[in-house]
Amino acid sequence: MILNKKTKFLKTLEFFPELSLFLALIILSGCGSENPTQQVKPPAEAVPVVPDRSAPVVNVSQVTEETRQTYQWYCTQCHGEKGHGNGVNAPHLVVPPRDHTKASYLETRSDEQLFEAIKLGGLAVGRAPCMPAWGNTFEDKTIHSLVSYIRELCDCEAL
Amino acid sequence: MRIGIGVLLLICMSVSPVWAEPEEIEKKGCRDCHRFSSEEKQPARGPDLFYAGDKFHENWLKEFLQSPKVIRKVGYITDPGFPSGNPEVSQPHSTLTHEESARVSTFLMTLHLPDYETGKVDDVPLSKGARAQAKMLFERNFGCIACHEALNLVGKVRGGVSGPTLVDSGLRLKPDWVFHWLKSPEKFLPRGRMPVFNLDDETAIRITKYVLSIRTKK
Repeated sequence: MILNKKTKFLKTLEFFPELSLFLALIILSGCGSENPTQQVKPPAEAVPVVPDRSAPVVNVSQVTEETRQTYQWYCTQCHGEKGHGNGVNAPHLVVPPRDHTKASYLETRSDEQLFEAIKLGGLAVGRAPCMPAWGNTFEDKTIHSLVSYIRELCDCEAL
Repeated sequence: MRIGIGVLLLICMSVSPVWAEPEEIEKKGCRDCHRFSSEEKQPARGPDLFYAGDKFHENWLKEFLQSPKVIRKVGYITDPGFPSGNPEVSQPHSTLTHEESARVSTFLMTLHLPDYETGKVDDVPLSKGARAQAKMLFERNFGCIACHEALNLVGKVRGGVSGPTLVDSGLRLKPDWVFHWLKSPEKFLPRGRMPVFNLDDETAIRITKYVLSIRTKK
């Protein structure tokens, strides 16, 4: 059980190199804080860490007519023509395809998570293995635009 | 001598070679849906047949043309009704007589892709363990079951319907064709609806053997 948790944690690090770097910095600074020669700064000077929103990790592409056609050609097979998760394969799957209009769920997913689910497939991101990896079919730019299209369908963004 | 040459010419003119297109292709309107050459420009409303000799087993073709069964439950990928599951092209396929199906099948078996490599998949079936692993690849690692029907452990049909059914596909498809399709689908179809997987040869062979072993007990 503990081993599983460790493995999952390591996998998370694998997919989020920024997180690895962040944790490494924390660990390093933690080691550094044990150095008796370093002065401890007073709490008043501590600056809260906030994400730098001026430089987002994901390069979100615009939704174009090509994006909509790509979604219609490939994704509708499972997710349905309007993204309700009711494509022709849906009744035959053990795990229902994601409803891309359901904001309450998609708000809990970051754009990076959606990007990786499309590119690497469901299994690689701990989701349903029915979702295949599309990384060899679409360019990253197309996948980014599909993420944007899903945001358009759910009329939502990551919280 | 002249008489001999004349008789020979008459025989040649009266007997059609196997590669000659049988009249059923035109009479039955096969070109309304299928392309018999990569040069044909009309949009395909059914699977391309210009590599039918690489793809199909002849016996299956003969039987299918006489008693067609539905292989693609929601129609071919280009059918406007495909996304909604209500294909415009009626199914099952039109029926041919025994003689017609024999002529058409013989002709179809002469259609090949240039530079097509055979002998990629041997006849040795997967061991029980290797088959179980290949089933995992098929269902879990690559998610093929989402779009293709297969059989579960108790022989019940399960899986999606947007792709052609793979139940009894071993009777229909040649191993080398499945291998090449998995490796480079663009060689056959510029734009399918299936993901490209970029498989190594060994994985492609294992999945090919698994797919072709999905058989109903008869």
